[in-house]
Amino acid sequence: MDNIRASLLKCFEAVFPALSPAEIEAATQVSVAAWDSVAAITLVSVIEEEFGILMDLDRLADLDSFEQVLDFVRAEAPRT
Amino acid sequence: MRVRLSEALRLARSAPGNGAPFVVVLACGFTPHLLQTFLAAHLQRAMPTRRVVVESGLFADTAGTLESAVRRDVQAVVLPLEWADLDPRLGFRGAGAWSAAAIPEIAASARSMLDRIAGAIAALPAGWPVAVALPGLPLPPLFSPVGVQASAEELALRAGVEAFASGIAAGRGCAVLHSGHLDELSPAAERYDFRSDLASGFPYKLGHADALAAGLSALVAPAAPRKGLITDLDDTLWSGTVGEVGPDGVTWDLSSHSQVHSLYQNLLAALASEGVLIGAASKNEPAAVERAMGRADLLIRPERIFPCEVSWNAKSAAVERILRTWNVGADSVVFVDDSPMELAEVAAAHPGIECILFPGNDYPKAFALLRRLRDLFGKPRVSAEDALRLESIRQGEVFQQSAAGSAPETFLERADAEIAVDFETGAEDNRVLELVNKTNQFNLNGVRCAPAEWRARLARPGAVLAVIGYRDRFGPLGRIAVAQGRVEGSRLHIETWVMSCRAFARRIEHRTLQTLLAACHVGELYFDFAPTARNSPLQEFFGGLLEALPTGPFALSREQFECHCPPLYHCVVEIKEAKTYG
Repeated sequence: MDNIRASLLKCFEAVFPALSPAEIEAATQVSVAAWDSVAAITLVSVIEEEFGILMDLDRLADLDSFEQVLDFVRAEAPRT
Repeated sequence: MRVRLSEALRLARSAPGNGAPFVVVLACGFTPHLLQTFLAAHLQRAMPTRRVVVESGLFADTAGTLESAVRRDVQAVVLPLEWADLDPRLGFRGAGAWSAAAIPEIAASARSMLDRIAGAIAALPAGWPVAVALPGLPLPPLFSPVGVQASAEELALRAGVEAFASGIAAGRGCAVLHSGHLDELSPAAERYDFRSDLASGFPYKLGHADALAAGLSALVAPAAPRKGLITDLDDTLWSGTVGEVGPDGVTWDLSSHSQVHSLYQNLLAALASEGVLIGAASKNEPAAVERAMGRADLLIRPERIFPCEVSWNAKSAAVERILRTWNVGADSVVFVDDSPMELAEVAAAHPGIECILFPGNDYPKAFALLRRLRDLFGKPRVSAEDALRLESIRQGEVFQQSAAGSAPETFLERADAEIAVDFETGAEDNRVLELVNKTNQFNLNGVRCAPAEWRARLARPGAVLAVIGYRDRFGPLGRIAVAQGRVEGSRLHIETWVMSCRAFARRIEHRTLQTLLAACHVGELYFDFAPTARNSPLQEFFGGLLEALPTGPFALSREQFECHCPPLYHCVVEIKEAKTYG
């Protein structure tokens, strides 16, 4: 597992402690009831702090799964 | 050390499932969730055995949240006030009507809201801790066309907030977060998150949220202040080695470039006046030290330093004797010395003691030392018993020496002891709860009690609270014991019983039980006893009454007590009427 994926898993674990790693990797806003608007903002804050990036809050609606968020972080993290 | 958000989330969830709840109302006008997380994390870390729950109210309704808190079952209230709470136009999200013409109306609205918030705070029960942080975010560019200049209107607004803070601190006893302290941890320019405020209504950068939560948590659940400070003398209390330069050669003044020692002496004098125990441990010639301590220009009165252990033996042995005289644990004490070697020797012999290097004329470190000591010993308020503490320890020394020189019965009989048992102390008396929550050795079960719980206990039918004061021919000890319980038919169920270790060996505990049996008209006492790691003195006392060490709650009949009670010589000078609450 690459470092970015592992770090992002930890971010999700911090916000959704009830999910297993496998469940996190398959997580979407639809499949995880706890992924509401408050959790989304908390998740963004944890990810920004972990990776030292700023996420585009207007694009949050598009970042609705672990894989989508991972793609976003992969694209942003190297530039920081 | 800054707590990251992921760590705060983990800490906030680390509460023990079976811990007693500690519910805090977070009254704020912004989206609370991240500050809520940081606050829960810091409180949980400060109270690991409790189950911290931080509840919030409606968005943009700080005053309403405060007003409704009084109807909730909570243990504390936290108010991180921001400008937008006073008027939405003072925040960036609600600044739809910025204009010079609106300023008088905004100012009046802010004054009115401050009055409403002050009223809501005043209506909260007196025992609830209330922690308040004053606005710390930038104001919108409303007041002045030039940012470098403070306008009269803005200054008036800030003055109104200061007056509000002064009023709630003096009147209701609210703990107001020191803005200078917060400034150091979280510089003003690093606080506001414009993007987050506009996008989600949370106005703080994470670092500021953490610093603010840490400060508010420390006000709600302050760390127990240390009880005693043991200081070295040469190159610590004063500059120079008294054995080399003589008593008149050591200095503590500006002209000798030793002002740091003067400030240190002044700080110790201030701490001593607040009841902090000050002792000295020095490798020196006693006669030389005695002459130096007798100098009229010493800034701390020499009798305030007790004991003063001066010899050529190891410092750890001197510290041992001082701790024994004070009857406090090493973890309640700070040791200050200019020698790293001495600090290491004492630290190795006394685990838990905090050893701090006196930095001499390293000015930044000396400045930090003075502030560190202030924080380690600071307490929200100083009680009459605090001021009595040193005197009662001296008195205890004389008491023990006198007791050693005569037969115990003769000595106790001639001690002219007077006990005052007060059944009318109110639930709001801070000293009583302080005694309950900091006493370890003579403590029925080690259970700590929050103010709200204490009030609830005393509000039940049949509740009894007895506060015991003591004096004898050696001097007063002040109020030294508390018993709390409730009458259940023919027995008194005792839930809390503590006595200061300063009051041991005087049979006060026997007299207390005798008085409770008589005043409450009961034939049996039932104790919520639990053995703890530190309450062996109480275990031994019960062992003497029961002829076996108890292992849990037990009942003691009047006959059992009378059969094992030794002769009592105290004069019970004041028993106000036994009063049941509720």
